[in-house]
Amino acid sequence: MSAAIRAERLRKVYPGSPPVAALKSASLEIADNEFFTLLGPSGCGKTTLLRLVAGFESITGGTLHLFGEDIAHLPPEKRPVNTVFQHYSLFPHMTILDNVAFGLRRLGKPRQEAAGKAQEMLDLVQLRDYGARLPNQLSGGQQQRVALARALAPRPRVLLLDEPLSALDLKLRQSMRLELKRLQRETGITFVFVTHDQDEALAMSDRIAVMSAGEIQQIATPGEIYEYPANRFVAEFIGDANFYQARVEQVRDNGATYLTPFGTRLAGPLVEGAEPGRSVTVFVRPEKVTLTAAATEGNLPGRVRDVIYLGDTTDYRITLEQGGDITVRAENHKDGRPLANPGDDVFVELDPSALRVLKE
Amino acid sequence: MTAVLDRLKAYAGVAPATLVIGVFMIAPLMIIFAYSFLEPNPYGGVRPAFSTGAYTKLFYERDLFDEMVFNATYLKITFRSLWIAAASVAACLLIGFPVAYYIAMQPPERRNLLILLITIPFWTNLLIRTYCWILVLRDTGLINNALISAGLIDRPFTMLYTEGAIVLGLIYTYIPFMVLPIYASLERLDLRLIEASRDLYATKWGTLRQIVLPLAAPGIIAGSILVFIPGLGAFIAPELLGGGKNLMLGSLVQLQFSSARNWPFGSALAVVIMAVVMLTLMLYARNARRNGGGLQH
Ligand SMILES: Nc1ncnc2c1ncn2[C@@H]1O[C@H](COP(=O)(O)OP(=O)(O)O)[C@@H](O)[C@H]1O
Ligand SMILES: [Mg+2]
Repeated sequence: MSAAIRAERLRKVYPGSPPVAALKSASLEIADNEFFTLLGPSGCGKTTLLRLVAGFESITGGTLHLFGEDIAHLPPEKRPVNTVFQHYSLFPHMTILDNVAFGLRRLGKPRQEAAGKAQEMLDLVQLRDYGARLPNQLSGGQQQRVALARALAPRPRVLLLDEPLSALDLKLRQSMRLELKRLQRETGITFVFVTHDQDEALAMSDRIAVMSAGEIQQIATPGEIYEYPANRFVAEFIGDANFYQARVEQVRDNGATYLTPFGTRLAGPLVEGAEPGRSVTVFVRPEKVTLTAAATEGNLPGRVRDVIYLGDTTDYRITLEQGGDITVRAENHKDGRPLANPGDDVFVELDPSALRVLKE
Repeated sequence: MTAVLDRLKAYAGVAPATLVIGVFMIAPLMIIFAYSFLEPNPYGGVRPAFSTGAYTKLFYERDLFDEMVFNATYLKITFRSLWIAAASVAACLLIGFPVAYYIAMQPPERRNLLILLITIPFWTNLLIRTYCWILVLRDTGLINNALISAGLIDRPFTMLYTEGAIVLGLIYTYIPFMVLPIYASLERLDLRLIEASRDLYATKWGTLRQIVLPLAAPGIIAGSILVFIPGLGAFIAPELLGGGKNLMLGSLVQLQFSSARNWPFGSALAVVIMAVVMLTLMLYARNARRNGGGLQH
């Protein structure tokens, strides 16, 4: 079975003065039935990649295969791919039912059959009784679901979703995450989902491609991305992190030992160009550090500088006695009180296994 | 007290507009309407005596024995005018839509330039421009001379003073009125809808039929009305390019006020044209309301 989508050194330069290299050289392989997410800040080329797959933009360089077939020269209507557009792009002059039936009709399905299938899709997205309305008579969330039903109705082999939830409010967004995940499981269609929201990406995806400035930084499962980010950009973009410089102490065949600024040793993967004495970046997630009042051996003394209340947790910015800062994220006391206040002297417990070396 | 003052101020605010519309639009129409029910004065003008003669003259004439008999002359002229106006609308649409579409798909700076180009003919007098068409179309004109010297034909091909020439003149005169409103509705067209349509397996033609045309309908209808109405009462093109032998309503009206000296009949014709136009507009407005407000688009 060949991959649903295979892109090799895919490149897109928008003509103009100066030309914009929106996608520099993207290689990726998306498996059939996968929920694959493109994650990155605004302007990093996510939409461009989707538009290349959908066929709205011509390819500047590289190759693009869909289920083993080179699709570079197929017009959009010849690709078994449908898109849920960021701004929904429902046809304003057609009823909801006609919108959803549009793709089926164009594929030559008779009117009755197309309407029946479209109604099924409306049932699926819980808009059973809205078929006769016009798009502007629906709320944003409802329009979003119509866009989804419309794109799913022709049973595409791949569904492209361009930030479909970004215009919805938080509660709706969270329930739609589950909904999308359910739809993907039930239909067995490959989803390529674009978002700039890391929570969304972590919650929904089988695998994530993190993008930045037209380049793919890392492709991995949500857990791997979070625990073992490939570089500083990924570590910073997904979750929060404290960064420090460590020194290479010893290089072995399958790894290296690093000397952390906290006086501890850390066994980690071999970093490119590592030789004893060289400096590398290590990081620790704030929730993997604990705040304690006990001056146990190995705990780092410091003073609380800022307390940032986040509701379920609180961030403590601590200036360490040995120099440098660390942010600790901790749950509050059961009664909601924070663990410490600005100016308090505290100790930070840092398990060596929580520290990670960045490969790049 | 202040309420009265406010009301007065409000009236004062709309007074100029009311005055302009009243003096320049309503009053002339009222005069025309009144004249159509008076008797003609053989030396021009009207005699202040009520008569529906002008309207009966549309369908009947007095024969030698002073009996009223049916007369189809004016009906024929009316139908000819209707079909020539309709043909101009159709041709303007066929030419104007692709032009408007092309302009709407250009980058914004380019669009403004092209729209300016569309309006350039308006900078010259219509009479002069129509005379130029005579030079192009006549037997010894540009086209015939070119065809003959190229050896394609050996005697001139009659184009001037035909209904075709009139239609050509009307297309030439009114095509901007078709292009501009269609452009206005296409310019506002969300191009992402075109992509959505292609994404859902519609071909380019399918997208044109299913998405672009329906959404441009308000502009198409507005353009058609803007070409049809002046086309129906056109005077210069039929007169110069039709040679006056293919009489249209506009020329007929003009004739009544000049050589025929029958102002009431001329007025009655004008009233009839206006009634036809208003009927068309009312039908359109009703249609637009039923289709979810095409007028507002
Ligand atoms: N049609 C276009 N012409 C020129 N530049 C474009 C065009 N579309 C996008 N870009 C540029 O390409 C880059 C990537 O855009 P895009 O793929 O839309 O990013 P994202 O979806 O990740 O926000 C941006 O710098 C953007 O300005
Ligand atoms: Mg985007």
